[in-house]
Amino acid sequence: MDEYKNTRRSQIRRMPAPERVMIPLSQHIGAPCTPCVAPGDTVTRGQVIGRTEGLGCPVHSSVSGVVREIAERHDARGRAVQTVCIDNDGHNTLCPDLAPYEGLLCEADPDRMIELIREAGIVGMGGAGFPAYAKISSARGKAELLIVNCAECEPFITANHRLLLENPASVINGAKILLKALGVTRGVLAVEDNKLDAANKLEQLLDGDQLLRVRVLKTKYPQGDERQLIYVLTGKQLPVGKLPADAGCVIFNAETCASVYQAFAHGMPVVERTVTVDGDCIANPKNVLVPIGTPIRDLIEFCGGYRAQPKKLLNGGPMMGQALHDPDSPVTKTTSAVLAFSEKFSPAPKEDYRCIRCGKCVQACPMHLMPIYLSQYLRAGNLEACLQYGANSCIECGCCTYICPGRVPIVQHIRVAKGKLREQKMAAEAAARRSEKEGKNGAK
Amino acid sequence: MEQNNQLLTVSPSPHLHSPVGTASIMGDVLIALTPALIWACYVFGMRALYLTLISVASCVLFELLYEKLLRKPVTVGDLSAAVTGVLIAFNLPVTVPIWLPVAGGFFAIVIAKQLFGGIGKNIVNPALAARVFLFSWPVDMTTFTTPVRDRFHSLFIKQDLDALATATPLSYLKEGKLPSEVQGGYQTIDLFIGNVPGVIGEVSALLLLIGFAYLCVRRVTTWHIPVAYIGTVALLTLVFAKGASVSFMLNELFAGGLFLGALFMANDYATSPVTPNGRVIYGIGCGLITVFLRYFGASAEGVSYAILIMNLLVYYIDRFTKPVRFGGKKHEKQ
Ligand code: SF4
Ligand code: SF4
Repeated sequence: MDEYKNTRRSQIRRMPAPERVMIPLSQHIGAPCTPCVAPGDTVTRGQVIGRTEGLGCPVHSSVSGVVREIAERHDARGRAVQTVCIDNDGHNTLCPDLAPYEGLLCEADPDRMIELIREAGIVGMGGAGFPAYAKISSARGKAELLIVNCAECEPFITANHRLLLENPASVINGAKILLKALGVTRGVLAVEDNKLDAANKLEQLLDGDQLLRVRVLKTKYPQGDERQLIYVLTGKQLPVGKLPADAGCVIFNAETCASVYQAFAHGMPVVERTVTVDGDCIANPKNVLVPIGTPIRDLIEFCGGYRAQPKKLLNGGPMMGQALHDPDSPVTKTTSAVLAFSEKFSPAPKEDYRCIRCGKCVQACPMHLMPIYLSQYLRAGNLEACLQYGANSCIECGCCTYICPGRVPIVQHIRVAKGKLREQKMAAEAAARRSEKEGKNGAK
Repeated sequence: MEQNNQLLTVSPSPHLHSPVGTASIMGDVLIALTPALIWACYVFGMRALYLTLISVASCVLFELLYEKLLRKPVTVGDLSAAVTGVLIAFNLPVTVPIWLPVAGGFFAIVIAKQLFGGIGKNIVNPALAARVFLFSWPVDMTTFTTPVRDRFHSLFIKQDLDALATATPLSYLKEGKLPSEVQGGYQTIDLFIGNVPGVIGEVSALLLLIGFAYLCVRRVTTWHIPVAYIGTVALLTLVFAKGASVSFMLNELFAGGLFLGALFMANDYATSPVTPNGRVIYGIGCGLITVFLRYFGASAEGVSYAILIMNLLVYYIDRFTKPVRFGGKKHEKQ
């Protein structure tokens, strides 16, 4: 697979905040936030604009200005979510409540640290969006190894690479804060060998550090997947259905670590992130530090606009990212890349696909599945067999579909199978509950 | 620049695709078969080329006709019918009448391939099915010519007096004689290079190997099936040799259609297993049956039937060799 890391030498440029930002109240896995501002309110940069009591963390304003409206909008994944639209006043007034963490890290109370990480709105910035505080609390006591995921294995994306080159200290310090919060004494920074310059930088800075080490991995998609990372670093294959903590590991993305550092050192919550803007239709591809909520249209304008009319606009990498239908959807905490492709680069899927039984998908699958049979059984309507052949273990990495000479949309078939299996399971559970109730009623 | 929302395609990931498609793979197979075809023209005359072209043309035409008549999407562009055409011709003696490859093409494409649902869905290898079908004309199918000595006359080989029914090296082996021991016989090196009577494409193990190496380099195919297949035959004929074991073994390997079968027919995608372990099992199975047929069967050759029999078992081999999924079974206890 070609890497297309075209922007690897492009320094991160800070983008001025646009006239209006649109900040979705659900940028994480878990409960969406409820707004705590109303239209007409004045807000400042870093001020909390939405909170949730459940799993999830607050959302902050990335500009200072006036809330114009709170309405349902499409986010970059195409879901309709409550979104706070803020008119930027251009003053960039900072929220007065923001304050760096005072006190010594070695004396810090882990519970307070976790609370602080939650308040800063830190989520998994590699793309998953799982709230960092929740990951820390559930891994505490179980995990023995912190893995900082600097693999960045998707083609095109170089945002983490640039971050590691330009501000490696923030990643390292963030990782150290996480070690303390987790109560773990060992951490590795996992870097693919296409970023040796970054690995060297980190080595230099660590200078024989006892807590953190750099591990250089082979460049190989999907190296950055949690299961693959744990396997190459520890030799353990995470059993089906288990979480990294069950193998004694906890994994954070490099940029998530940097955000943790920003929160502790400057009191700054997540209000911006690094995004790689690339693709054959972008006039000046580059890495950009973007205020959260910036419409993708404005971001592309900042990169010189389109060189040619794109056929596809992606949120995220080309292997796992989503195709956007609305260029006005905003950049969120989980947007690692915005890619604009022409037809030439990313041809539309073929209606008339045919499996030639070449077996390439079987050899390509990192989860050791048989994608060809998963796809065939789904098309034959045999969900039982899909389950048996491990549909639920599929990580949707897309390797099988990438390699398939017959252009079978295998991953899509597997996604459908997984969806149907989920429905089936839920229906079965509901039926079981009902019959249990009836059984009780009958006994009375 | 004006941004037009209407024109954006929304499709599921992944959005990148390997440039290798079915047509480019089949193109590679055609390239890999070319050295053997050139050699065939050299030893058997230009008729080898004519027959091959006729065979390819009829396969492509039958596929086109079938798909047009049934209003199905036309798939001749994927070049798989062309590959089948070359392989049918490779299984014919150079003296067969012209209508024979046409009949073979019909059987391969319409009966063995399209009636089962087209590319990837056929159970048996179309070219091999055609070969077995064409044995309904046994005389045509077993009249072999000795390699042409005077290459310049070779264009009209049918009229050539040399073109008489000839025993192949394999038939001597069946009787327990080494071809080199027979009068005017062939040395092992002749068998390897392909200076022997036989069907168009099978004679030169060397050039078939070169073609196969090309396919491996291009990652079109893997080593599993041929190595398992030829390895099994080598081992069995070494252990149960009729006569001097090593040279008997080598003769068994290079004579007949073993290399053509193992390198280009047994590892046809559609009719071989998709798992690496399955491919090894399948190759071993082909080897066992081939040797069994060569020793105890009615005819000297066993490759075609061996592969056809194993073709029928592919689905079960696939199921049997389902890989342990990542983090499955043996890792559950950790
Ligand atoms: S997307 Fe394909 S290759 Fe990736 S895990 Fe799923 S089945 Fe395997
Ligand atoms: S890669 Fe595609 S064509 Fe090959 S076996 Fe898998 S599904 Fe079939």
